[in-house]
Amino acid sequence: MEFDFTPVITYFPTLMKGLGVAIFVAIIVALMSVLGGLLVAVISVYINKVLSWPLRFFIWLFMTTPLLLQLYLLYFGIGEWVLIPAVVVGILGLGFHYMAYNADIFVATLKSVSDGQYEASRSLGFGHTATIFYILVPQAFIRSIPQIGNNMILMVKDTSVLSAIGVAELVYASQYAISVSFRPFEFFIVIAIMYYIINVFMELGQVWLERLTAYRR
Amino acid sequence: MDFNLMVDVTPLLLKAAWVTIDVSARSLFFGFFVACGLVFMQSLRFAPVRWLARGYVSAIRGTPYFVQLLLVFYGGPSIGFRLDPLTCGVFVGAFNIGAYMSEAIRGSIESVDSGQAEASRSLGFGKAQTLISIVLPQAAPLMIRSLGVLAIVVVKNSSLISIISVVELTYQAQRLIGSTYKPLEIFTISALMYIVIVYAVMGIIELAYRRATRYTTL
Repeated sequence: MEFDFTPVITYFPTLMKGLGVAIFVAIIVALMSVLGGLLVAVISVYINKVLSWPLRFFIWLFMTTPLLLQLYLLYFGIGEWVLIPAVVVGILGLGFHYMAYNADIFVATLKSVSDGQYEASRSLGFGHTATIFYILVPQAFIRSIPQIGNNMILMVKDTSVLSAIGVAELVYASQYAISVSFRPFEFFIVIAIMYYIINVFMELGQVWLERLTAYRR
Repeated sequence: MDFNLMVDVTPLLLKAAWVTIDVSARSLFFGFFVACGLVFMQSLRFAPVRWLARGYVSAIRGTPYFVQLLLVFYGGPSIGFRLDPLTCGVFVGAFNIGAYMSEAIRGSIESVDSGQAEASRSLGFGKAQTLISIVLPQAAPLMIRSLGVLAIVVVKNSSLISIISVVELTYQAQRLIGSTYKPLEIFTISALMYIVIVYAVMGIIELAYRRATRYTTL
């Protein structure tokens, strides 16, 4: 049992490339899942009661089945009609998964904004849509920052699962390097540390964001 | 939708679903003991043991379960730690969820007002007896709820052990999709099975919750 970290240094550029892809995917998925989740929540709470049932069904479906199964469905399902790169499938799969989780949180926080806010805004001359987007959504959004932050931390860790459908992110890059160097323990330890560091930064960012918005609550 | 195919694959998927249930149940069982150990370590007065437990929880929660699984399964043999896929899945699953569970248990114990423990101690109860007959019954409802959420996480996490070739529900589904090219049909059946498992777990949690709160009036 001796460790040899020289292959890790040799393949460090490969790992960095993988890390870059992981961060890129995470950023796109974060934007997609937060904005999409908010949109789904707003539609299902305020705008259209008929449309809200299928939306709730999708939230429920994505929350009760595992991410990997959803990724396989998308990967093979879309692959039947068109050939698109795995990274797009990965972003869509992870995006929809966390969109459902975020929408669930936004639905709860939108409902927690008191009715008086809506009535006051309407009596001050705001329209229905203006009230939703200028008065209710901002308040709900700030209230949901802690939980959305938790979801995003989970999401960054779940980008590792995308290697299963062949997205060239950090785990995939290290699997390639391992297949050449036969040093699984060293590589996986190093990428675990990388994920841990990202995680620490995200937790700090979450604390900072919560402090920044605390006075508005 | 090809219903004949759906009927044909159901027995295979049911068999695989049983593996999912088996692995999840074992991970939860052993994970609970890991969690109790961690909670105990964090309650000790000897600081290094507390730091060790805190560091462990932080490391587990800060890294993906997927990477932990790969590290133990592929990296383990090079430090002389060789496990077969199923055992490895249960092992990593238990040690992973144990860290999350220890936080849930600690949080629910700390949610009980400290005056309860003080009052009990001043009435002559011992430390262990205070914990068992005064604090834990009051912490139970919250503990059951938060452990229940983790139980569902365990069921969904168990899909990841398909990567180390354990033939569980997701592995079987992926293999069948690959051989039949009917993703939607296979997905429908396997998703249905996951949903049934998740709802069964939720039902058990609800029963336990009702039992824990049967004497409380709110």
